[in-house]
Amino acid sequence: MTPARGRIADLDWIHALYELGQKAANGAHPQQVRQEILEHIVRGFDAESGSIALIVDGTTDQLELAAGTELPRGLIGNPLPRGAGVFGHVVETGQPVLVNGDAAETGLPLRGSVDRQRSTHSAMCWPLRVAGRTIGAVAVNRAETSPRYTADDLDQGQALMSLLALVMANHRMHVERENRILELSTLNATMQRINGMLEDAQNQVIQSEKLASIGQMAAGVAHEINNPLAFALSNLGSLEAYLTKIFELLAAYIDADVALGSTNIPALAAARMLRDETDFEFLRRDTADLVSESRDGLLRVKRIVQDLRDFSRGGVEEVLQAIDVHAALDRTLNIVRNELKYKANIVRNYGSLPEIECMPSRLNQVFLNLLVNAGQSIDANGTITISTGVDDKDAWISVADTGCGIAPENLNRIFDPFFTTKPVGQGTGLGLSVSHSIVRKHGGRIDVESEVGRGTCFTVRLPLAQANASLPNEAEKRAA
Amino acid sequence: MSSLLIVDDEPNVLSAMRRLCQNAAVMPAIHNPSIATFTSAPEALDYLDDHEVDIVISDYRMPDMDGASFLACVKERHPDTARIIMSACSDIDGIVRAVNHAGIFRFVSKPWSDPDLKATILEVLAHRRLLIENRELADEVRAQRDVILRQKLELDRLERESPGITKVRWTEDGGVLLEE
Repeated sequence: MTPARGRIADLDWIHALYELGQKAANGAHPQQVRQEILEHIVRGFDAESGSIALIVDGTTDQLELAAGTELPRGLIGNPLPRGAGVFGHVVETGQPVLVNGDAAETGLPLRGSVDRQRSTHSAMCWPLRVAGRTIGAVAVNRAETSPRYTADDLDQGQALMSLLALVMANHRMHVERENRILELSTLNATMQRINGMLEDAQNQVIQSEKLASIGQMAAGVAHEINNPLAFALSNLGSLEAYLTKIFELLAAYIDADVALGSTNIPALAAARMLRDETDFEFLRRDTADLVSESRDGLLRVKRIVQDLRDFSRGGVEEVLQAIDVHAALDRTLNIVRNELKYKANIVRNYGSLPEIECMPSRLNQVFLNLLVNAGQSIDANGTITISTGVDDKDAWISVADTGCGIAPENLNRIFDPFFTTKPVGQGTGLGLSVSHSIVRKHGGRIDVESEVGRGTCFTVRLPLAQANASLPNEAEKRAA
Repeated sequence: MSSLLIVDDEPNVLSAMRRLCQNAAVMPAIHNPSIATFTSAPEALDYLDDHEVDIVISDYRMPDMDGASFLACVKERHPDTARIIMSACSDIDGIVRAVNHAGIFRFVSKPWSDPDLKATILEVLAHRRLLIENRELADEVRAQRDVILRQKLELDRLERESPGITKVRWTEDGGVLLEE
């Protein structure tokens, strides 16, 4: 009886084996696939049981049980003793083995999984070899009720084993690839996260480089602009004084002219004609406007240059002092109160704050900027809430308004120098940049939350004490 | 009559300052001051050797000699001259040098405000006048002390020659007591 030969020579059977190998590629569980392959082989050889052992990755002779029929499930994946049993022998020699009857007859150390479960009547074991390398072994067993395998069966099987080895190797490669892909996608996610962090850091570097170069430029330009600005402004003042004198003189002449009455002097007649033609009154009025408008323009340039210079250095360096922030806020409020009182109700929501080490007038400038901005965002009947408090090592001061809010697309540009949404002449786009650089200089930060139509809240966070600086606070100074 | 000397490498600044200080319509408090202007500090130093000046106003940043060094020279050679420095850039080191070495009276930043500058000039002039007056008074006091000292020496000599001669003893009714 050679049913095995008939079945395993069947193309359908071979194709089914190949199909099983492909199954792994479609996401089937690897252990499941190995088991199915084994069962297919067991059926093909009309065996009662069988098992597959594979060499563990990274070793040359460590076998583990990869699949087995009629074996307790927990055994799958267990390592087999090195060099022991039929499997050990087959893997070691690379030669297939046919075992009929008592293992002792063959002289083999039959202690492996092949004969563990029952007294084996007949068994075949082949090595699985791919590209000259042994990757494992397959065994099939028949019980006593079936005929014994023959050497022919062994040869027949051997012919199939290269196909089976390929299927197993492919399968293993596929599993490895899956694992690699999983690893890669984890790696990829990590890389993306790191990349995002790098991008943030780079943006910050670009931002601070941009600020630094603007600062440098500002310092250089300030000198070049201030000189011409100085004489232009001063000349305008002199011109105004001259014009006043000239118009006084002219007024005196006009008075004299009136006093002369209808005296008929040709030169006087010519002067009178000229006066009528030139609309003297208009000239006199417009000259005053002209001078004052020009002065406004120059003063605006002056302020921009001043802002720029402040911005480039975060302002003049000042000695650190421990101050009462609430008093500072109140002083700043007094300065802007006139500007705010017609359109905003000011709510002071002060918490309890210790004295804070800072450069007081620089910090006042920050408060001033925030309050003026809050005021400008409100058209009429708004509220500006100033709150303070402490958390952890920071003091926070927030200025919230019920104004127009900041459009989301502008939110990350508001600290950029020269960015402004205010009408020409109302803002230089430096207020928040300067504030930002002042707060940064203090080791703090400014956060902003805003909703269009609802309002904006700026929160300044400052460390309670400046690093590497220990200063007497006001109380100690008074005591000293 | 007050006299000013102004140094700036920018001629337009010089003419603007001249207008500001010279014109009675602009600055009536200084009557017809004499004003000398220079675009170069060394030339200004030469001028100062031959002319007495009340106030020297100098720009800080100039090509051949900076304002702080120039004013330090002025202080050394003409200590009575009041010194003001002007600058379009507020570089802290420069200001420190100007204050410490050139002993400047005022620092004015550019662009200046005309009223402030006028007030500064008047103030510095008044301050300088006070200083000079003070010194003149001190000189006078010292001179008078010399006279007193000489008289005292003469008295001492007389007393040594004829003891008691410098002292007069009065009786209650206003008579003079002569001993022996």
